[in-house]
Amino acid sequence: MGAANALAAPATPRAPASSAPRGWQATRRRAFAFGLAPALIVLLAITLVPAGALVVASLTPLSLTDPAGTFHFRDPLGNYRHLLEDARFLGSIATQLKLSAASVVLQLAVGLGLALLLNAPARVLGAVRGAFLIPMVLPPIVVALIWKILFTPDVSPLHRALEAIGWPVRSLIANPDTALWAIAFAETWQWFPFTMLMVLAALQMMPADPLEAASLDGANRWQLFRYIVFPHIRPVLVVCGLFRLIDSFKAFPLIFVLTDGGPGTVTEVTNYYGFIQAFNFSYWGYASAIATVILAGVFALSWLVGRLGWNDHGKH
Amino acid sequence: MASTEIALPHRHLEDAPAGSGARAGWLRRHGRAAAALVLLAVALFPFLWLVHLAFKPAADLFEDRLLFVPRLDGFRALLQGSFPRSFLNSLAVSTLSTAMSLAIGVPAAYALTRWQFPGRRHVALWILVTRMAPPIAFTIPFFLAYRWLGLQDTLFGLALVYLTFNLAIVIWLMQTFFEAVPTALEEAAYIDGCGVWQAFWRITLPLAAPGVAATAVLCFIFAWNDFFYALILTRTQAVTAPVAIVNFLQYEGWEWSKIAAGGTLVMFPVVVFTVLVRKYLVQGLTAGGVKD
Repeated sequence: MGAANALAAPATPRAPASSAPRGWQATRRRAFAFGLAPALIVLLAITLVPAGALVVASLTPLSLTDPAGTFHFRDPLGNYRHLLEDARFLGSIATQLKLSAASVVLQLAVGLGLALLLNAPARVLGAVRGAFLIPMVLPPIVVALIWKILFTPDVSPLHRALEAIGWPVRSLIANPDTALWAIAFAETWQWFPFTMLMVLAALQMMPADPLEAASLDGANRWQLFRYIVFPHIRPVLVVCGLFRLIDSFKAFPLIFVLTDGGPGTVTEVTNYYGFIQAFNFSYWGYASAIATVILAGVFALSWLVGRLGWNDHGKH
Repeated sequence: MASTEIALPHRHLEDAPAGSGARAGWLRRHGRAAAALVLLAVALFPFLWLVHLAFKPAADLFEDRLLFVPRLDGFRALLQGSFPRSFLNSLAVSTLSTAMSLAIGVPAAYALTRWQFPGRRHVALWILVTRMAPPIAFTIPFFLAYRWLGLQDTLFGLALVYLTFNLAIVIWLMQTFFEAVPTALEEAAYIDGCGVWQAFWRITLPLAAPGVAATAVLCFIFAWNDFFYALILTRTQAVTAPVAIVNFLQYEGWEWSKIAAGGTLVMFPVVVFTVLVRKYLVQGLTAGGVKD
């Protein structure tokens, strides 16, 4: 039977073959297409279609008060023009960037430090590694509740401890100067394990020879880290940073539970502002424009991740 | 792993002049583990505090006493409200969404692994990007469409939305597992007269079963953990557990022990699953992050 013959070189469709293998190849292709199609159709229906609808809605002043009357395209770019003049929107972008930068940098620093600490052959460390993952897998709403408790002076052990040593502190999330940093801190707590995991994985794939050679040549620990270990894990750190940056645009439960965007609007990030416009004020057209802007930002960053050569399942 | 001990604590320090005493020796040998344990205690303190509050008698809530007789008042209060129903809703939605994403995603992942068609890379990348997209971009169209279709506040509607991220997870993860199954086995099955999907069903899928199980657990966790979609797309009937907690927080004020008990219950399945499938979980959480 020629099928095995043709299958031996599945990647080269023009392999010399008789008509029987070609028929088999076609059958095989049809079978695969049949298996792939439902997923692609569903994905198309639940991702590309909504994304298209979002962009269309962003060109209209659609709102709850008069859904039929406000669905028109008389001024397609009106929402976007308005965005540029909307101080609250521009402020939300600044807030978003501050929050994202602070939490991503902290996550990378904490994650890297812990990965270096835990990357040693000891049984204790192996067990500890697993336990460090807990914050990342907890439901985000539970993370938010945990920090609500820790930031509320009545029940927070930290606040009570500070009070006991005669140094009472106002709730960090009620204070406009610290609220955003409190959220960045909670977000860091939730997501440092991600960086830790990725860096640990990279460290475990690192060849040992260069390290040994360098230490024989008398390099000290800092030099080993600076010139051998760090260059090896830098790509992973970059990818981690980009992944976490993309995800940080979605931060919602923490802000929803801890501050509700307040005090005032100091913790109102773009995602949250879009949520308020859409589901508190029901300005769906305007909110769609905000969401479109976020979507564009996320796509730009995803493209960057792709450019860096990661996520490349096709190449081996 | 022994090859990558990067900070080289032993080799170098052992050259240092001895005589700093037994204490330094202990520190050298166990310092790293001790530091890790201390940091772990610090990192998990917030999490443990929530669990401990759930069992604390309401009267002691505002006191520092750490020794107390565990009480189940918080849990009992939860049982009387609408929380049990929302918990069941969460279970149903997560299970339904997991089943749907596996049914559609597993064959697609297999096709993507074994079929080298032009544009395959683009399809794979598009699938990954759907996972990156911010939920707000999907919620507005889904919210409007569901109002129209009558899917608002239904378990099926919510499970369908969860496909936006779970389908990508299944397709992405299962590709790795299918790549690990040698094609020679399938080829043998073809020769014996099996069709493509017959060979898949009889040979490849059983071999990749652990992968399917791990992927299912991950899908379940992601659906279980969702808050944003459930908050917007449910009202009363299909409310899930995370939304229910926030609801009684908003309508009944801050009843700490009840909130802590609810939080503990919601995270319980996730923590159990994490322990069960730690190895695969790591793979799923970092899906697409590490070059393979």
